[in-house]
Amino acid sequence: MAATLPNISSDLIWEVVRSNNSYLHKTGARSNGGIQLSRDPLNLTNKHSRKYAGFVNDKAVGIVANEKGGVVVISKKAAAAAQPAKSVAKTTIGGGKSTRKTYKAVASQVAKTGYRADLRAAAVERVSAIRRSQLPVKADPEPKLRGKKAKAAAAGES
Amino acid sequence: MASRPTVSIIGKDGAPSGATHTIPAVFASPIRPDIVKQVHTGMAKNKRQPYAVSEKAGHQTSAESWGTGRAVARIPRVSGSGTHRAGQAAFGNMCRSGRMFAPTKIWRKWHVKVNQGQKRYATCSALAASASAPLLLARGHQVMTIPEVPLVVDSALVEGSSVARTSAALALLNAVGAGAELEKVKGSKKLRAGKGKLRGRRHRQRRGPLVVYNPEVDGKELVKGFRNIPGVETSPVSALNLLQLAPGGHLGRFVIWTSAAFKALDEIYGTTTTASTHKKDFLLPSNVVSQADLTRLINSSEIQSSLNAPKGDAVTRRSAVQKKNPLRNKQVLLRLNPYAKVFSQEAQKKQA
Repeated sequence: MAATLPNISSDLIWEVVRSNNSYLHKTGARSNGGIQLSRDPLNLTNKHSRKYAGFVNDKAVGIVANEKGGVVVISKKAAAAAQPAKSVAKTTIGGGKSTRKTYKAVASQVAKTGYRADLRAAAVERVSAIRRSQLPVKADPEPKLRGKKAKAAAAGES
Repeated sequence: MASRPTVSIIGKDGAPSGATHTIPAVFASPIRPDIVKQVHTGMAKNKRQPYAVSEKAGHQTSAESWGTGRAVARIPRVSGSGTHRAGQAAFGNMCRSGRMFAPTKIWRKWHVKVNQGQKRYATCSALAASASAPLLLARGHQVMTIPEVPLVVDSALVEGSSVARTSAALALLNAVGAGAELEKVKGSKKLRAGKGKLRGRRHRQRRGPLVVYNPEVDGKELVKGFRNIPGVETSPVSALNLLQLAPGGHLGRFVIWTSAAFKALDEIYGTTTTASTHKKDFLLPSNVVSQADLTRLINSSEIQSSLNAPKGDAVTRRSAVQKKNPLRNKQVLLRLNPYAKVFSQEAQKKQA
């Protein structure tokens, strides 16, 4: 499909899906203040909002963790909107790259080429969160013994 | 509409066959969730069967009230003695073994008439929505692996008895990238909550793709191939049903068209100017707004040329945001009274 039909636009789609869609996760008003979250992989903040709703917008960016460390940047191709199998481009930025360079790479990809400059900060934040989650977990320090246990341990040593 | 985009027809192994077809005019119909929802609620009621409690339930006793003076409520009580039932309250909806409140009647208004024009409008709207990948995703269909929306499969692949077997039908669906969708449906089968389990609605599961065929070209044998695949439904193109095109009243059913069915759509639904050959006095609904893309509208040369030029620079200094007291703020004082400088200088000289 070369061009899309004029009867559908992302504005219209948002009006249709904003109250209910498969990605939307509404929390109960009592449990969590009724916040609305999104499970959309193309949503950078996981918030249910027009700006971050990746499946609605023609251009959208998603960032997910790469299995071998680092991140995968998913972006939508506006020209291939009607061809779902071809509609996303994936770029892997490995874990070997420093976080600063990763931020720089992601920020340029998201904003520099006139793609979605409004998503730059959110994209960098998400990369940061993912990279932080990939840090090696420090082992807990040995617990210091106190009281009777400390005495027993000292007695045992000597 | 001047030019309509084309859709490529998927051939063997899910690769495009090279042939294309202009998208039928019905796909340019307005997307109207409100109409679809309302028509769906009406139509969904039209397959109901009447039910009611027995007319006699709760009234098969000769109970009568004991009246006042017996220090018990005036509710009718079962007469006689010899059983525990005697003396118990009866009839009332609050009584054990009493009748229910407002016993259900078989002459309840079970069916809803929906105007034909509205039904046709809703069907067109649901069809148009089925050509939008975001709306399919919003309905929960796993369509990220399919080559194109709307998905049109060459009729040569389904003609005769080529997909009369389930294995062949399954292979076709997998080839066009609907495998993920079928997996989703298969894993979604759950035991229904509540009494529906006892009433012939034991399980509930997601809906998969709807395969639309043209019986005149494709034959009807493919129905047998698809009917045992969980979630997959088939429908002849001449009898599309809103309950299948927008299940639950939600737009965006994943539809797989055979190329013959896709080609027949223009004949069946006509366009906004040429009447349909199958439906009497039917023209496709037109869009109120011919361009639904707001950004494109705003950035169009027609709008931009008639706008005023922006006032001020990109960053404009706003004057007099806060009133300053000239008696305390010397700069404001000097602006109001340039001669104040002389006064203050003389005052300093006097001090010195």
